Amino acid sequence: MSGSYDRALTVFSPDGHLFQVEYASEAVRRGTCAVGLRGKDVVVLGVEKKSILQLQDPRTVRKVAMLDDHICIAFAGLTADGRVLIDKARIECQSHRLTVEDPVTVEYITRHIATIQQKYTQSGGVRPFGIATLIVGFDPHDTKPKLYQTEPGGIYSEWKANAIGRSSKTVREFLEKNHKDDLSRDDAIKLTVKSLLEVVQTGAKNIEISVMESYGKITSLDLPQIEAIVQEIEREKEAEAERKRTRLAAAAAGQAAMSQRADTPAQ
Amino acid sequence: MSIMQYNGGSVIAMVGKDCVAIASDLRLGVQSLSITSDFEKVFPVTDRLFIGLPGLATDVTTLREQFRYRVNMYTIKEEREIEPQTFAQLVSSTLYERRFGPYFIEPVIAGMQKTPAGGYAPFIAATDLIGCLNFAKDFVVAGTASEKLFGVAEGLWEPDMEAEDLFETISQTLLNAVDRDAFSGWGAVVHLITKDQVITRKLKGRMD
Amino acid sequence: METAFGITGKGYVLIASDTTAVHSIVKVKTDVDKIKELSPFLLMATSGEPGDTVQFAEYIERNIRLYHIRNNFPLRPPSAASWIRRSLADSLRSRKPYSVNLLLGGYDVSTYKPHLYWMDYLGTLAEVPFAAHGYGSYFTLSLLDKYHDPEATVEEGLATLKRCIDEVSKRLVVSPDRFKVKIVDKDGVREIEV
Repeated sequence: MSGSYDRALTVFSPDGHLFQVEYASEAVRRGTCAVGLRGKDVVVLGVEKKSILQLQDPRTVRKVAMLDDHICIAFAGLTADGRVLIDKARIECQSHRLTVEDPVTVEYITRHIATIQQKYTQSGGVRPFGIATLIVGFDPHDTKPKLYQTEPGGIYSEWKANAIGRSSKTVREFLEKNHKDDLSRDDAIKLTVKSLLEVVQTGAKNIEISVMESYGKITSLDLPQIEAIVQEIEREKEAEAERKRTRLAAAAAGQAAMSQRADTPAQ
Repeated sequence: MSIMQYNGGSVIAMVGKDCVAIASDLRLGVQSLSITSDFEKVFPVTDRLFIGLPGLATDVTTLREQFRYRVNMYTIKEEREIEPQTFAQLVSSTLYERRFGPYFIEPVIAGMQKTPAGGYAPFIAATDLIGCLNFAKDFVVAGTASEKLFGVAEGLWEPDMEAEDLFETISQTLLNAVDRDAFSGWGAVVHLITKDQVITRKLKGRMD
Repeated sequence: METAFGITGKGYVLIASDTTAVHSIVKVKTDVDKIKELSPFLLMATSGEPGDTVQFAEYIERNIRLYHIRNNFPLRPPSAASWIRRSLADSLRSRKPYSVNLLLGGYDVSTYKPHLYWMDYLGTLAEVPFAAHGYGSYFTLSLLDKYHDPEATVEEGLATLKRCIDEVSKRLVVSPDRFKVKIVDKDGVREIEV
C-alpha cells in the first residue's frame, strides 16, 4: 500500500506525507463529536457522549476536563491519549503559576499542548496523540471568551465556533450558516445544542454541555436542562415546518386559483 | 550533642517463655523542649512481629514507611508473611544501603519466629544505625536511655518468664530507666507478643 | 523574632503567625502573610530561611491544587501532612535542603474533625492539640499546657490565642508587633482580626 512509510517511525513518504499523523487524524474523525462556540461574554463546549452502559458509572466517563480554574478542554479521538495529554497540560498550568505567579492564558496552554503534540510527530519510538482538542476559557484580567483548536500534527488556531470529531464537517458548515457575533448566553447554548443535534440522533441524553461565563465560572448543564433546550429546538423546527407547509399550501392554492381564472373564459 | 539524641526516645525488647515483649517511651522533643507525648516508635510488621525505631524522628517516619513498602512487596511476591529472621536481614540491608549517609535510627526487632517443628520461638534482634545485627537471647535496648536500660534490665531480667511476668519486668525496666533520662519518658507503650495474640498496653509515666 | 503557633478547638483550628520580614537587624516589612491557604480547608504557616519558606510553600500549594484538579477532590489533612513531610524529608538529604518549619491546620470535611500538625525542616511530623515554632514557642507551649481546651468555642480559643500573643509581646526580646490569625473550620479558611 504505502510501502514502508507507515511503519512505527514518523518519517516522510516521498510525496511529503506523514502517514502516522494522517492516521492520527483518522482516529480523530472516528471519535465522538465536540463543538466549541463563543458568545458575547460566554463560551460553550458541547460534546457528543457515547451511550453509558447500564452498569457503568457515568461520572467516570467524561470528555470535558478542567485544566485550571479558568480553562476547559474537550477532545475527540482516543480517550486514553486525551487523558495523558490533559494531565501534562494540568501540570503545566500549575507549574506556570508557580514560576511566574500568573495563571496561564488560553493561548499559552493551547500552544503548550500543540507543542507536545508536535513533538510526538518528530521523536523516535513514539506515535502521535490520536486526538484533536478544543480549548476554551478566559485570559486573566480579561472578559473576552476564547476558543482554540489543536490537531494531532501540532497545528493550533483560534475560532469563533468550531467542531472536531465525527461529522465535524457537517457541524462546521451548520455553524458557518448560523453563527452570529455577540450571542447571548442562552442563544450560544442553544446554537451549540442545535449544531450537535445535526449529528447526534439520540438527543439530549447523549449530549454534554459546559458553559464558562467569566474567569473561573464554569457550569455543567444537567440532563433536564439539556432536554428542555432540545424540546425548544424541536418545537421551533416544528413551527418552521408548519409555516413552510401552510406557505406551500397557500402558494399552491394561489396557483390553482390563478390557473382556474385563466381557464375560465371571460364573460 | 549527637544527632541521635536530638529528638530523644528509647526502645527495649525482652524474651520470655513462649513470648516476647517490645516497649518504647512516647516522648518527641527537640533537644530539651518536648513537643508531644504520643509519638509512637514501635510499629507492627505482621501479626507476630514488631519493630521499634528509636532515633531521629524524621527517620522514624521515613523508615516506617520504607519498611511497610518493602514488607508489602515481599508479602505480595512471596505470597506469605515475612518471618522475623528474614525481616531482620531486610532491616540490616536497608540500613547498610545508606552506609555513608545513614538513617539515624537503631532498630529493635521483636517477634515470634516459626520453628521447623511447626511451633513458634521468641526472636529479638537489634542493629546499629548502619545495619550491624545483634541477635540476643535475653534483651536488647536502644535509644537515649540505652545505658540505663542495660543496667535495669540486667538486674530485673530472668530466663523463662511467663507472659504477665515479662510484661511487668519490661514495664518496670523501661519506666525506671527513662526516669533517669531527660530525653525519654512522658508515658510508654508495651506490646506483649505470644504465638496467638498481641496485647498492647499504654503506661502512664512521670510527666516531668 | 519569628513566631508561629496554632491551637485546635471544637471543630476548628486557629493559626497565628508574626508578620515581619527581617534582614539582619532591620525590619523590612511588617505586613507579610506567612499563613498560606493551601486549599479550601487547609492552612499552612511557615517559618525559617526567608527564601526557602516562600519557595517551598508555593511548591506545596501548586501540588495540592494539582491533586485537587486531577482527582476532583482535595487532599485530606492527614494525607497532605504526610505528603508535605515526605517532601521535606527527601529535601533534607538532597544537595540543597529547604530550611522550613511549618504548622499545618486543616478541617477534614469527611470526618468533621480539625487537625493540627507540627513539622520541622527535618521532616519530623507530629499531630498535636496545639503547637508553636520559633522563640515564641518557649513561652506559648507552657501557657497552652495550662489554658488549652480541645472543646473550646472559637471565642474561647481566640481568648487563649490572645494570651499567647500578649505573652510573646511581653517577654520576647525583639517581639513582633503584629500577628495575623487565620481559622479553618467547616466553612473553610478565612482571616480573623485580633
